[in-house]
Amino acid sequence: MRKIAFLLVLPFYAVAQGDEIEYTFNGFADTYHAVRSQSPYDFMSSRSRLRTEFGATKGKSYLFASVNSVYNGILEEETRIELREVFFKYSGSNWDFKAGRQIIIWGVADGLRITDVVSPMDMTEFLARDYDDIRIPVDAFRVKYLKSNLSAEFVFVPVPSFFIIPDAPDNPWSVFPQSSDPHFEVNMENTPLKKISNSEFGGRFSFFLSGIDFSFSALHTWNKMPVFQRSYSTNNDTVFVEAQHNRMDMVGMDFSFPIRQFVVRGEVAEYFGELQTTTSGNNKVKRNTSNFLLGVDWYPGNDWTLTFQYSHKLIPDYIDKIETKENTVLATSGITKKVFQNTLSLSTFTYFDVTNQSFFNRTSADYSLTDEIHMMAGYDWFEGDEGMFGLYKNNSEYWVKAKFSF
Amino acid sequence: MKSIQFLSVMVLALLISCGAIAQNLTGREIIQKVKDRPDGDTRYSEMSMKLINKRGSSRDRKVVSNSMDLGKDKKTIMFFLYPGDVKGTGFLTWDYDEIGKDDDKWLYLPAMKKTRRISGASAKKDYFMGTDFTYDDMGSRNVDEDTHKLLREETMEGHKCWVVESTSKDKRDIYSKKISWIHQDCLIALKVEYYDKLAKLHRELKLSNIKKVDGFWVAHQLHMTNVQTNHQTILTIENPKYNIDINESLFTVAKLEQGSL
Repeated sequence: MRKIAFLLVLPFYAVAQGDEIEYTFNGFADTYHAVRSQSPYDFMSSRSRLRTEFGATKGKSYLFASVNSVYNGILEEETRIELREVFFKYSGSNWDFKAGRQIIIWGVADGLRITDVVSPMDMTEFLARDYDDIRIPVDAFRVKYLKSNLSAEFVFVPVPSFFIIPDAPDNPWSVFPQSSDPHFEVNMENTPLKKISNSEFGGRFSFFLSGIDFSFSALHTWNKMPVFQRSYSTNNDTVFVEAQHNRMDMVGMDFSFPIRQFVVRGEVAEYFGELQTTTSGNNKVKRNTSNFLLGVDWYPGNDWTLTFQYSHKLIPDYIDKIETKENTVLATSGITKKVFQNTLSLSTFTYFDVTNQSFFNRTSADYSLTDEIHMMAGYDWFEGDEGMFGLYKNNSEYWVKAKFSF
Repeated sequence: MKSIQFLSVMVLALLISCGAIAQNLTGREIIQKVKDRPDGDTRYSEMSMKLINKRGSSRDRKVVSNSMDLGKDKKTIMFFLYPGDVKGTGFLTWDYDEIGKDDDKWLYLPAMKKTRRISGASAKKDYFMGTDFTYDDMGSRNVDEDTHKLLREETMEGHKCWVVESTSKDKRDIYSKKISWIHQDCLIALKVEYYDKLAKLHRELKLSNIKKVDGFWVAHQLHMTNVQTNHQTILTIENPKYNIDINESLFTVAKLEQGSL
């Protein structure tokens, strides 16, 4: 990573000689603690973090770095200092170029991914972290051409990043059973080799017009959320699990437009050759899947915001050994109300796994004690027996968080 | 002889100016004059907002903005500089003068690295980031969205003012009517009283520190008090600049996503 930082600092000083350098330094410190709301009432999470963000502008050049210094009292391997983002950006009159570790977000969906397939997700604590913390930066080159109300963006990711799926036995968010019978041996290291033929590339054309926004996007990518291939030992006391990734292509579009107090959002994407989890056999099963999302935001005034999203995935040419159902439906709903001159924000956001009849709800209160200090508290509620939320049905938790911004 | 000629010219000028003031301007014409008051085609300003609650404790907001007139419409881009947790948050507004046409509005959230379109219809009625100013107060408003009536002329703080009552035609507006004391020389309201749906005084705005900048009159301080909650916001305009060299490409989502002006 030091090499990357050096390679980015070099052009910053080389490109913009003669201009004064303007520096910015800011960030925040936060501490988050969660306790399971049922027996054994153990700590689910206990972590503190210092985020420092450094920026330097010299003429049309900009250098940015953000560093997380994390202490995690539950997961020792998460205690570390990490360079979250570091990139160099050069802005021309109607274009800009960005190189380095950066978060790339596409689409208009909230908390769901249809065309937003560039930056993967860190599921170490599932969705029990802020959504922006869950996104994993990618080492990428990005060029944006900007003209009036159009932007054309080209992305090249030489070495792709993949989802981080919790598998450590001491992690309460592990996706594998923690019982010793049968024993699970998980191999997550089977990611594609770091070579240029495994790179990702694509682009997005966006139009921002009076009354409507829409974008078209395409990416030559991977199924970054691994598919797990299972096999068993001869005496069936051990399950061998291997994470698999495969090439796929995404072609999609998104749109949003306002109608009086409402904003309608939508995304459609076809994933070509998406790898599927199967219940048996070692042969890879790939399908072209259709994915869409429709959302409505309602702004009735008085600092109320209500959102609803419906997303649907269809696997054509379905065969029974595919573990995922032919049609899967996820929905979300969110309500936010700000009171006391915006010093207190009350919100509730729910993911509904309609297919498996389970849900995850996060209800929280965020009080701004001063301009710099926020105090937050909430409850994460998992309900259901099946699907990804059913997996965590014993993980409902109370949590508190404090954040100091500087 | 020269002094008589000079006196004649002065008397004539005085008569003409008095005649202009004494014209029977309607309330609508006065408000139209206020709206048409020259303020350049483009402008830049930094704004500090102090939010003070009834116990006297305060919070601060700082924003920087550029705006540009395009005929009767206006485009504005604004970024938060303070406090730290919202630093870089940006608003882009395409404000349309046409009645019934909703504004286009986008919000950029730097933590989420994401821009989202927000409703231009309802946001106008909401308060701006916890202040006592609504988005509508901070934007422009078509003169015909209210019915205007000249109540009287009176002197305020030594300045001759028109007192105009403006009654909202839109039931969704947070005020039923407002009464403005408009400085006749510089066409800036010195005071505005906002009344709620029950016709009770709700908010009171006082404008002060009025000076010319780049040839245009500017009120550098706007003090809004919610008399019902005793919450107040003091908005100070710092370093305003007019007719600056910017073009329309600054008022795009792509620029918004850069996180600063």
